[in-house]
Amino acid sequence: MEMDHDHHIDALLERYLHLLHEYTSLREQLSALQAGMYQDLARANFAAERGMRFGADQYDERMRASRRVSITPSSALDSDGDVPVRFAVFRAEDEDGDGGEGVEHTATGKEAHGETKDETQSSGHAGHATRRRRNDPLNWFGLLTPLPLRQAQDRSVRAVEYVIPRLAAVGGEMARLEIEVRRARKRRAKMGKAAAAAAAGLGSGGEEAKKKGEVVG
Amino acid sequence: MASHADYKDRQFLAVIGDEDSVTGLLLAGIGHVTNPPDSQKNFLVVDNKTEASAIEAAFDSFTTQRKDIGIVLINQHVADKIRHRIDTYTAAFPTVLEIPSKEHPYDPEKDSVLRRVRRLFGE
Repeated sequence: MEMDHDHHIDALLERYLHLLHEYTSLREQLSALQAGMYQDLARANFAAERGMRFGADQYDERMRASRRVSITPSSALDSDGDVPVRFAVFRAEDEDGDGGEGVEHTATGKEAHGETKDETQSSGHAGHATRRRRNDPLNWFGLLTPLPLRQAQDRSVRAVEYVIPRLAAVGGEMARLEIEVRRARKRRAKMGKAAAAAAAGLGSGGEEAKKKGEVVG
Repeated sequence: MASHADYKDRQFLAVIGDEDSVTGLLLAGIGHVTNPPDSQKNFLVVDNKTEASAIEAAFDSFTTQRKDIGIVLINQHVADKIRHRIDTYTAAFPTVLEIPSKEHPYDPEKDSVLRRVRRLFGE
């Protein structure tokens, strides 16, 4: 019985270590993307007109999020259960956030791609493209934004769409597994104590019987 | 464990960080200001003059008061200023992620997830 508990805990820890490995590699990816983004911003600021800085002064106070989070259970059957959830960051087309596209991330390592991102494929999407341009934060910084600023935006989009949702999903699943491991360890300790108590009871019972036998003899 | 109702309306990312971190992330399109009169922002730009109490207030707002935030991103060096709040935050939603900043690279020693890993393995 105790062996079963050991196997169960080992299996949980194995899964946990896989997630830990993924977590650290995602962290490296995020650090690399952000370091590149900071460099691009610095280059954009360096090349900007005297006294100009791409920062908080130019933010549009009426900004609307064009990239939003969607959190859903990883399976419709598990909607109320103790299950990992799916994080996705999608591009919202308008205020209501409909017609989005993006990549969904669960802690099981699956990725589900949404609509294709190749906007040039369909000429019928001209209206969508116009809306996107209007809602593009690059517009806060003028019409002719420098190349480094656009590169900074590209890196940031990759971090927000691919790395951050996955990190959130993996972190959540790790927290869930930690709870499960602790519960399994507690159960094993309880079983161990019960087994030890039973063995002690048997042992003392045996000694008493032996003593009785000596007296009779 | 969290139910569907806990996260179904959580559609925004929030960010607390220095100007470059916030600018970079807002370039990706995560910035949102709610309609007036509230006009609540989902970001806070932190500089040397920002009080820890203001950072804590923003963190509380994003994690406790607002129900539309799904992920909170915070610079690790800013999180250090309210470390007690970050370490005692245990809710499943919104998820809090510490991110590096320009002058403070990511430090695994301070990462709350990796600290939990060490605790699990009894270090």
